[in-house]
Amino acid sequence: MAPGPFEGELIRLRAHEPEDVDRAFTWLNDPEVRQFLGRQYPFSRKDVTERLLPAPSFASALFAIVRKEDGLLIGDCGLFGASPENRGASLGIQIGDKTCWEGGYGTDAMRVVCRFGFETMNLHRIDLHVLAWNERAIHVYEKVGFHREAVCRDAMFRFGKYYDILVMGLLRGELR
Amino acid sequence: MTSIFEGTLIRLRAREPEDAPLLYQWFNDPEVTEHLAMRYPLSMKSEREFVESVSSPGYAHAGFAVETLAESRLIGGVDLINIRPECRCASLGIAIGDKSFWDGGYGTDTMRTACHFGFAMMNLHRIELEVYANNERARHVYEKVGFVLEGCRRQALYKYGRYQDVLVMSLLEGELRLDHRP
Repeated sequence: MAPGPFEGELIRLRAHEPEDVDRAFTWLNDPEVRQFLGRQYPFSRKDVTERLLPAPSFASALFAIVRKEDGLLIGDCGLFGASPENRGASLGIQIGDKTCWEGGYGTDAMRVVCRFGFETMNLHRIDLHVLAWNERAIHVYEKVGFHREAVCRDAMFRFGKYYDILVMGLLRGELR
Repeated sequence: MTSIFEGTLIRLRAREPEDAPLLYQWFNDPEVTEHLAMRYPLSMKSEREFVESVSSPGYAHAGFAVETLAESRLIGGVDLINIRPECRCASLGIAIGDKSFWDGGYGTDTMRTACHFGFAMMNLHRIELEVYANNERARHVYEKVGFVLEGCRRQALYKYGRYQDVLVMSLLEGELRLDHRP
């Protein structure tokens, strides 16, 4: 049987379970992880629970990313705010387990979640926002097929200054 | 500029609270409900609540009042409901409640306008409907605008002391016939 819609080469996507909250809570409040996220405020345990546990749906499809070899939770990714008329959604991803940075896990998860968006949710377009200085992430997004579409100047204010945000987009058929 | 909401005879608009009394009258008239799913009497209260609940058309329930272009007279309603965004498929329901507008092409024009809206504005791929097997007039209209008969749900309806078959029809993106032949 062909690999299911949740399977990549290194990772698998699944729904979150209550047991995932502690681990996610830890990295969502880790400054090294948070530097890439678009959030100014700390996450409470309640915030994390409310973010992770709703059942994935067309309106908000968030997945846990687990390592295939041992089932370890290493991050999350999802497609949010899908517009059924425009068939577009916004993607978010983070690899919270720092030992899994640089191992190809993010690239693999990007491919699986985008394929899910096109083949299971029937989307036409997926876009994402990334801090313009985050070259490692931008490199991954370009590798899987995303195009640089726009720079929103000074779109985020953190740590006392403004940062540019890059908007990237992937159309159906462009996923590599 | 032509409006996406207008056909040649009718216009679609959002339902308004003032529509409730006419709907109340129509949907308590057995001649109107003969071919509809309704079987119990409707109160004015429930009709008002219905109109209230469907008065903001959106993807979850794209419901419209149908009025004549000529004198903006309310004559019926049409709804695209049960929409599955992944499959881009909706169910269509239609009723011309004002009997003086039966057989004048108003139903056909309403079907064309609503289906065109579904494909062009809601990005639907498929519109499906059910029609009772003895409702040949409606079936003729649906076929005229391009709907294809797909199957028969045998004895799926019980009304008037007997079982009836229910036909399933659908229209795919690109199949809508907009030409206004009689």
